Amino acid sequence: MATVKINGKEITVEDGTLILEAAKGAGFDIPTMCYHARLSKLASCRVCLVEIVGQKKLQPSCVTPVMHGMEVLTESPVVKSARSSMIELLLANHPLDCPVCDKGGECELQDVTFKFGPRNSPFGERKRRFHEEDYILSPVIIQNINRCIQCKRCVRICDEVVGASVLGSIERGAKTGETSFVKEYLDCDHCGNCIEVCPVGSLMSRPYRYQSRPWDLKGVDTVCTYCGTGCQLTVQARNGEILRVISKPDKGINNETLCARGRFGYSFINSHERFVTPMIRKGGTLEPVPWNEALKAIKDGLTEAMKDGRKTGGIASGRLSNEELYLFQKLMRGVFKTNNIDSGSRWNTGAVKSFANVMELNKGGISVYDALNADTLFIIGSSISDENPITDYLIRRLSRNKKMNIIIASPRGLKLDSSATLSLRHRPAAEGDILGGIAKVIYDKNMDKLKDLTGKEHLKNISRENIPDLTWTDWSSIESVSGFMLSANSITIAVGNDVLRGPSRIESMHILAEALRLLGKDVKLFPVFDRANQRGAWEMGVHPDILPGYSFRDGDGLGSEGIIDAASRGEVGALYVVGEDIVSDFPDGGFVREALRQVKFLIVQDIFLTETAKMAHVVLPGASFVEKDGTFTNQEGRVQRLRKFIEPQGDAKADWEIIASIGEAVEPSFHYGSVSDIFKEIKGAVPMYRGIDFEGLDGNGAIVKGSGIGGQGAGVVAGFSLRPKSEVRSQEQETPDPEYPFILITGNHLYHSGRLSLKADTLRDILPEAVVEMNEEDAKAMGVSKGDKVKVKGDRYEATLTAHINKRSVRGVVFIPENFTDVPVNMFFTKGKGFPRVKVLPLSSLSPQGRGPG
Amino acid sequence: MFEPIILKNINVPDSFKIETYLNNGGYQAFKKALKLNTDTIIQMVKDSGLRGRGGAGFSTGLKWSFIPKDPTIPKYLCCNADEGEPGTYKDRAIIEKDPHQLIEGMAIACYAIGAANAYIYIRGEFALGADRLEDAIREAYSKGYLGKNILGSNFSLNIYVHRGAGAYICGEETALLESLEGRRALPRIKPPFPAQVGLFGKPTVINNVETLACVPHIINRGASWFASIGPAKSPGPKLFGVSGHVNKPGLYELPMGTPLREIIYTYAGGIKGDRRLKAVIPGGVSAPMLIEKDLDTPMDFDSLAAKGTMLGSGAVVVMDERTCIVKAALIIHEFFHHESCGKCTPCREGLDWIVKVMRRVEHGEGKEGDIDLLLKLCGDVFGRTFCPLGDGAVMALRGAINNFKEEFEYHVKNKRCMVNGAGR
Repeated sequence: MATVKINGKEITVEDGTLILEAAKGAGFDIPTMCYHARLSKLASCRVCLVEIVGQKKLQPSCVTPVMHGMEVLTESPVVKSARSSMIELLLANHPLDCPVCDKGGECELQDVTFKFGPRNSPFGERKRRFHEEDYILSPVIIQNINRCIQCKRCVRICDEVVGASVLGSIERGAKTGETSFVKEYLDCDHCGNCIEVCPVGSLMSRPYRYQSRPWDLKGVDTVCTYCGTGCQLTVQARNGEILRVISKPDKGINNETLCARGRFGYSFINSHERFVTPMIRKGGTLEPVPWNEALKAIKDGLTEAMKDGRKTGGIASGRLSNEELYLFQKLMRGVFKTNNIDSGSRWNTGAVKSFANVMELNKGGISVYDALNADTLFIIGSSISDENPITDYLIRRLSRNKKMNIIIASPRGLKLDSSATLSLRHRPAAEGDILGGIAKVIYDKNMDKLKDLTGKEHLKNISRENIPDLTWTDWSSIESVSGFMLSANSITIAVGNDVLRGPSRIESMHILAEALRLLGKDVKLFPVFDRANQRGAWEMGVHPDILPGYSFRDGDGLGSEGIIDAASRGEVGALYVVGEDIVSDFPDGGFVREALRQVKFLIVQDIFLTETAKMAHVVLPGASFVEKDGTFTNQEGRVQRLRKFIEPQGDAKADWEIIASIGEAVEPSFHYGSVSDIFKEIKGAVPMYRGIDFEGLDGNGAIVKGSGIGGQGAGVVAGFSLRPKSEVRSQEQETPDPEYPFILITGNHLYHSGRLSLKADTLRDILPEAVVEMNEEDAKAMGVSKGDKVKVKGDRYEATLTAHINKRSVRGVVFIPENFTDVPVNMFFTKGKGFPRVKVLPLSSLSPQGRGPG
Repeated sequence: MFEPIILKNINVPDSFKIETYLNNGGYQAFKKALKLNTDTIIQMVKDSGLRGRGGAGFSTGLKWSFIPKDPTIPKYLCCNADEGEPGTYKDRAIIEKDPHQLIEGMAIACYAIGAANAYIYIRGEFALGADRLEDAIREAYSKGYLGKNILGSNFSLNIYVHRGAGAYICGEETALLESLEGRRALPRIKPPFPAQVGLFGKPTVINNVETLACVPHIINRGASWFASIGPAKSPGPKLFGVSGHVNKPGLYELPMGTPLREIIYTYAGGIKGDRRLKAVIPGGVSAPMLIEKDLDTPMDFDSLAAKGTMLGSGAVVVMDERTCIVKAALIIHEFFHHESCGKCTPCREGLDWIVKVMRRVEHGEGKEGDIDLLLKLCGDVFGRTFCPLGDGAVMALRGAINNFKEEFEYHVKNKRCMVNGAGR
């Protein structure tokens, strides 16, 4: 500890505290421009200079740590004059075009000038001008370099946090300008974090340009509903129209960062394509009706459809709130008396149960900051840079100045590879074999200590010889990963939901974790989800074999695949689908469409008329995330508040209200008045949520605790199958077909998430159409360059797409995002057969020589 | 007449070849050093009183002693050969004419601090120098003075030449490291100092060419011999590059502390056409100018500092009575304005503002109050910049204004030079 005197006031702070922070603690405000708490230190603006008694020169308080006995003056005449002259110098060449600058009213330069700056200046020269017209850097960023004050926050955040490194300086001295490379080379995340950290109006948001003044905006702090990272964001509107989303340095795990989806993916809320009244199919078309009529139709339809002992089922989205999901499963189990429920339709239901068990989700949540405080971080089963961008940013930022080995295993090359110690490229659906291989090496090296390792018999099937075939990875890489784990004291294994797309050997995860624990390592398991409330969905019990609070059972309830199967056989009388577009998601587009035609009574609740909704008998207009209250549980197990900010459009209603009124229509006691009432009930049903104070949830949320439900301890539930009953292997594992040389995998694109993001204009501007991503060598062999049109052909579907090249992806695999309506990638899939095989046909008839530069 | 030490061989034919160097006693000091304890060498350099010839005048031996002794940590030596201060051409002479002297000095320094790799960061324009160094390094490898297990001593050393790309800021040692690592040359925050966290994050010594060239002589002839040359507190031989209105401009090696008057009138042959001396810059253009009454100042670090100026690189720029100081000051300031890296506010914006005011004063468009504005701006910049570049710029200007205020005011009032025939 160091005791220092700041302006005569004595204060004791931790050793190494910066003068800036110590002064803040003592109540003295030192202005800064280039300083940013979470970026590398620059000390270039010199606005924060302070006087240290006994030192001749003023020192920058943003990089100078206190020393015991130091005496600091932050308000002395010399400091004040230096400060004011620095501001004067910053203003000298600043255009002072505040009346037409978007930043006006929230500009840090304005603020410090107002508070500390000179009131007048003798500067009368011509100002520096780089350009007359503002300069478009990307679909979301527009730049005015004339206003730049060279703080380089944008360059630093792009480099140190986002990892895109597309911003930099040109020229030097007074001519220095921050900009990006020419448009063609702009390989940017379009996250807009450079805009967020820009203290002046140099980097500006294009969608928000000239839309409003900050003081005219009203906003709400809420949670992003795009992915499982669970970022806090602030939605701002003027006169009820959402105009922008910003992030705040002191809010959430994401602080000032957001991704393109979070920051620019809001305009679907005001989309004119939303349907905002209930509709009933009458004579083949959906026609608007009042709510009471729709509810009556549902009550009658259900009674009719369930005659003859037909089944009912429900599929809800992992993007609904906990309250909605809880109510949904309660409605299905309690009122419709069925366990045929699931969240999402992309995954194997049995694998989900095993996953939830081996990932020890019932142990409670784990803060991402704790998870990343490890010697070795192993990431598998997630295209984390694309699907969970802010998790990627957090990993990059936190590992930057730390001794930490990051190992990534993925079929696709990821942006995070550049921060990784080791990146493995493996064949799709080989995650279990990779994990098993690692466990096998560790077991072989420590047999004496691992005599009691449960599940060790599973490792017998993995060997140095069969690993290359199983995984396309060589044994020595597997050994390297094992080496990193064995040399670490703490290991975090982050597993993404891609392991559920082609599940194999899910138990390996548990065996590996157990082996490391037996060797005395601190092992943390960290799930990575692409749907914002996937974890909440399971915690609320939206799964045939998981009751609220991870009470596992082996029942006869059907999951999505089972329900769709039964429907295809004409056994499903009524199906209630909330927020999920199963026609687009289920990995066999043709099959699911046929199956839904056999459903007697299909109710779909959504905000857009999705492909599924178009087939429904009744559609119900739900609310977007800013139109309702509730809680979300992110992948960490952090419960955060969703806050209602505007009224639902038209006759739309919050989804929990709709679920409750359907329940009430059938069973009058099924009545709920508010979200907090439902949350109260959740606290009773799900012990993990008992400690959470709904009203008290702030920007940091609260992490769920371990359950200890039903006498079962937290952790893996013993005696319970760690392995799903049936595992889906990918087609190629049978016999590779030379006619179809590629394996097709799918997932979310960096700029899109599910289908909702397509309705956000800005995101659609960034990436308007589906692409196919392939390895560079594969592309070269076919004479395909970036931007070329290619035809991807499977045995049952084909599509024409724009080629994207990923230098680091594994050969023999192509990736098509699942987000595009015009290229429904699930049409390539055949139910039960895993990842399909496809061929790629270049459409250009030109010879490679005749082609322009790529 | 002082017997040259560093420039001893530069007029010998083929002075840059290793044979010439060896015939004149080259690499004997390195051989001797390899038999000495590294601490002994560092102590010798400390005792010799050698101070950095790049301009800052920090004790070289002390700098070496800051390097951690842990043999498991890689360490680096960087030779700062980015000689860019206007008026300075001393390092260039050593590099082009006697590169082995530098290489030997570097080899001894590396041995002393335990560095196995060294870099020479050479100014991009020095194409001949870079070639000569490359050749000399090749020769040294072939004779076994570089490479693995040098002369059976178990000490190994590689030296690499890295050419700069034309920025004055690269002479600032931390900007040099940034540039060497492949980044934009911007100075780094100190602390940590390069002795702890330097090149590639490892302990690093950065020494000037002339400094390193002194080292073999200290080893050969002893610390006390070196310390006996010139003033006790800044001893040794010093290269003075005299330029401007003198009869014999050139590079002179003289003992530290030689009075300025002697350098100009005895060695450089006095002022051309026997005109009067008006001003002299004693140590490169960052050093504030001196006037006739200061001519008896001994040319060493401390005596010049006492006069409010500095020895800097030892570049003596002489201006005679016909010189317009306003124009001279503008030319100097244009240089700093052009070379400012742009990292910190006062240097980037301050020098830009100053140059705008200076230009109008020089071009007869000055306004009343401009001289006070210039002095205010100098005050805004001085002591507040990130690195010494901005300080140097405003010190030079302030020196000119303080010594020749009436000339500046004349320019503002009469829209022309006070000096007849100025500009010739």
